[in-house]
Amino acid sequence: MTRGIRLWLVAAGGAGLAALLVAACLDLPRFGGDRHPYGDRAVRAALARHTANTVASVNFDQRAFDTLGEMTILFAAVLGCVVLLRQTRDEHRARPAPEPVARPVRRYALLVLPVALLTGLYVIAHGQLSPGGGFQGGVVAATALHLLYLGADYRALERVRPIGLYEVGDAIAACAYLVTGLAGLIGGTAFLANTLLPYGTFNTLSSGGTVPLLNAAIGMEVACAVVVLLARFLDQAVEIESLTGIKTPTDKERGK
Amino acid sequence: MADVVIVVALLLVAAAATCAVLVRDPVRQALVLAVLGVVLAVLFTVLQAPDVALSQLAVGSALTPLLLLLTVRKVRRRARQEGRGP
Amino acid sequence: MNGWEFAAALTLSGGVGGTLWGVATGPLRRRVVAQNLSTALACPALLLLAQGYDRPSYVDLALVLALLGPVGTLVFARLLADELAEDPPRAWGVTYAAAGVGAAVVLALCVATGPSRALVKLLAVGALLIGGNVIASRALAGGFRGVRRG
Repeated sequence: MTRGIRLWLVAAGGAGLAALLVAACLDLPRFGGDRHPYGDRAVRAALARHTANTVASVNFDQRAFDTLGEMTILFAAVLGCVVLLRQTRDEHRARPAPEPVARPVRRYALLVLPVALLTGLYVIAHGQLSPGGGFQGGVVAATALHLLYLGADYRALERVRPIGLYEVGDAIAACAYLVTGLAGLIGGTAFLANTLLPYGTFNTLSSGGTVPLLNAAIGMEVACAVVVLLARFLDQAVEIESLTGIKTPTDKERGK
Repeated sequence: MADVVIVVALLLVAAAATCAVLVRDPVRQALVLAVLGVVLAVLFTVLQAPDVALSQLAVGSALTPLLLLLTVRKVRRRARQEGRGP
Repeated sequence: MNGWEFAAALTLSGGVGGTLWGVATGPLRRRVVAQNLSTALACPALLLLAQGYDRPSYVDLALVLALLGPVGTLVFARLLADELAEDPPRAWGVTYAAAGVGAAVVLALCVATGPSRALVKLLAVGALLIGGNVIASRALAGGFRGVRRG
């Protein structure tokens, strides 16, 4: 394909997208208006199922099937990364030397790590009540673990992070979401339908039927996925070295 | 008058996004991107979408910079090794 | 629009707008400091917005930012240690000014909230915010001196 044809193709696609966007924007309700036909229905359905956070109700109840798709995308993306960033035959691992880190920074990292982990769990557990949920809390919890890398060194992180377990956890969490959906099917209604569990008391931790369960599954999936993803990136950036073109990279690097 | 905060947040996002495009060095771009993430989170909050804002904060403040800088480090190290090789 | 929202707009336009200028121009040492300050100033703005909209659950946003903002700066301090060691940032004046803004906002919100569980959460956010940003500034100014690789 020549450069001219490619440009034409991009221009045609861009023009089509622009036309569709303009057409959609012309039909939008006015900014900040008081009529929200979709919002009103979503809020009504959320309240009927005792879910205080309507967004959680939309994500994990009314459109739980969409969330299944999103979770699969993350799962596949991480799987792709794991395959792409594996250690190839012409690469070897060099042990990184321990790092001198200023004492206040080290103390801060070790102090904030449990706080951040707890915050992540709090955000996951309160997903059906306040802003947040599985995705946000999972990312916070996974980021918290990497304070060990920032505040100490990579070896300290590797010690608390058996990567195989996180890979298994990722898969189990993805399965848990599916199984919860299938339970709805077996329970006599539909896939991922929120009819299985009692809806509980409005605005308490156990309200919302299956919403907290699906939230927890997503939280675990995202946390494990982010840990596995960052592990691959860290391995590549810190440990894995290419053998081609250099004899003893570690000694040279250390003597720098 | 009631929309002052929205206007401020929108202007900040526009400015930060433009800077993120104009800055070309990946490391500096990562810095601008981190600020853009925070400003975007403020915009989402102002538009009453706290769930989206929380996602943006969780991903944008530490995870994205870490992934970007690790990639930059890997690429630079490979370039250095190849430069020194035979 | 109430006073809290107005204060948030001021913090955003003056503080975060200023850090945006700082992060987009100048040498690397100025940019990393500006990145740190952007989270140190956006967090009080989020607290003010939560109070302005009268939505206590929005405080969670400030909590997450107070936790992860300094972590992001630590990422830059750690992985750019080589570059920063050649030209270390010295920015204690602005760091303490931002910490002062954070402390003033948290104090004002505490007075407005009164003794309750929300007060404890506010104080936790304030401590994390100020402690985190001072430590992150310390890390930028040579917290990873000697870290060459890894």
